[in-house]
Amino acid sequence: MKGLIHYFFANYFRTYKYVPPVSIFIIILVINYSYTPNPIMSSYSFTSLMLFFIMGWVVITIFHMEDKNQKEITIMHAKSIREYYLALVINCIIVGLLFSILAVAYPIIFNFFSPDLRIAHIVIGFFAHFSLSLLSIALSLFFTREFVKNDINTWWGVISILVISLVLAVANIDILKIKLINWFLPPLRYSLDIMSIDDEVIHLSGQIYREFGWVFIYSLILISIYIAIVQKRRII
Amino acid sequence: MESIIELQNVTKKFKNKLILETVSLSIPANQITAIVGKNGSGKSTLLKLIAGLSKPNTGEILFQNGKPIRIGYVPEVTPAVIPFTLVEYLTHMGTIHGLHKEWLWQRINTLLEIFHMKEDRNNRIVHFSKGMKQKVTIMQAMLEETDLLIMDEPLSGLDPKAQTEFEELLMTLKERNISVILTCHEAKLLEKVVDQLLVIHEGQISHTSVQHEQGEIMNRIVFELSNTISISTLKDRVIIDKEEEISPGRKLIELNVNEEQTNMIVKEFLNRGASIKFLSPINKKETIFFKQFLKEGER
Repeated sequence: MKGLIHYFFANYFRTYKYVPPVSIFIIILVINYSYTPNPIMSSYSFTSLMLFFIMGWVVITIFHMEDKNQKEITIMHAKSIREYYLALVINCIIVGLLFSILAVAYPIIFNFFSPDLRIAHIVIGFFAHFSLSLLSIALSLFFTREFVKNDINTWWGVISILVISLVLAVANIDILKIKLINWFLPPLRYSLDIMSIDDEVIHLSGQIYREFGWVFIYSLILISIYIAIVQKRRII
Repeated sequence: MESIIELQNVTKKFKNKLILETVSLSIPANQITAIVGKNGSGKSTLLKLIAGLSKPNTGEILFQNGKPIRIGYVPEVTPAVIPFTLVEYLTHMGTIHGLHKEWLWQRINTLLEIFHMKEDRNNRIVHFSKGMKQKVTIMQAMLEETDLLIMDEPLSGLDPKAQTEFEELLMTLKERNISVILTCHEAKLLEKVVDQLLVIHEGQISHTSVQHEQGEIMNRIVFELSNTISISTLKDRVIIDKEEEISPGRKLIELNVNEEQTNMIVKEFLNRGASIKFLSPINKKETIFFKQFLKEGER
């Protein structure tokens, strides 16, 4: 598994497919913090949403870095379809983690926030970025070529699911107030709700951990379903 | 004859289309088996089932003595982009396979020697020719000492020289007791080296036959000559594999002849104004082949 993760990372690094999403994310960060001082939570909320969309891009480029023939070779060496896909997901998570650290650290290192920055802001900021990265990975997986054969449909699919998730999170529709439905919808709203709290009153509470925890659990369930399906279908 | 893999009543469907219908066959150990059939006949699907990359809908795939065997797999098309040097790529594949680092390095060096690729070890694979890329995909399949090597259309896109080199390689693999199963469009391209030929048609193995006489040594020759020269009298004595016009008034003729006839056929073509473009043994090691041209004392 370690060998697979290292190989995918090296392969992704050599193909330079990471350059466009990395560049765009850095540009977004630079533009967002071009005026100082900045409000902490709303800045982090914005960059975490941007990361939510950028990660869809990253997932597709990571999952499609190998062509069909190399994929067959790699699976033969890995001797496990489950490990193959798990290693790809872990690579996406590593990229999401690096982006999250970058997004949280950049404004702190360059002093773009007002002076009352507290540990709670940093922890919540990191959770917001990393949880939305994970959620984006989990949703985008179902539009990789294992499920969608046509590349154009892949891109439309990823953009659509991410946009729909955001719309559902901010929409004020009666049907969304039904608790049962809410369990199935992408839990983007939890992150947005937490990030909408005023900078002054924020503190780390059990509810914040629970809500971010649900975003992580929801994402991990989706990832597990994806891996179970591809393993069962032996999609080659 | 001992078989390394047996398929019993294997059926495979894809999107409700029947690809393979109750196929039963056995792959003999330490031999070369070729599967011949048209495009879309199910050759690649059959190889993927044997490799374990795909599951049959019904039927069973049984291994020798009931134990899993070590399988190397060479896909139909060489991967389009491999962004590594040859050694980096083989190291990655070997590490993923779980091979011990020092053993792997030794193995890579051995493979580089077998495939005459030592000088290209640190070159990027993207700059390799098609034939070299083909070798790379075979090398990765041999990183572990495999029992069975599965190759999907290994001859596709190879020029006559590379095809002959590939036939030599198959002979080397056979000498190392590696069983090989491969697919091919035309049976005659490999008929001098394969031991078993399976013809696949409409999802069924319709014909099985053992081809060439063991031990017959063949040479492949490519001549270039004028279109106006008649070779009809020679056609009774040799089987012409390929005849193609390469420029106005000039054509290439590719043929396989047995060792005894080689001198005579070469002479006849030269007398007709042909020039030799290529001459190589098909199922004999290069070193042995070239010894015949040395003087008695030099051998």
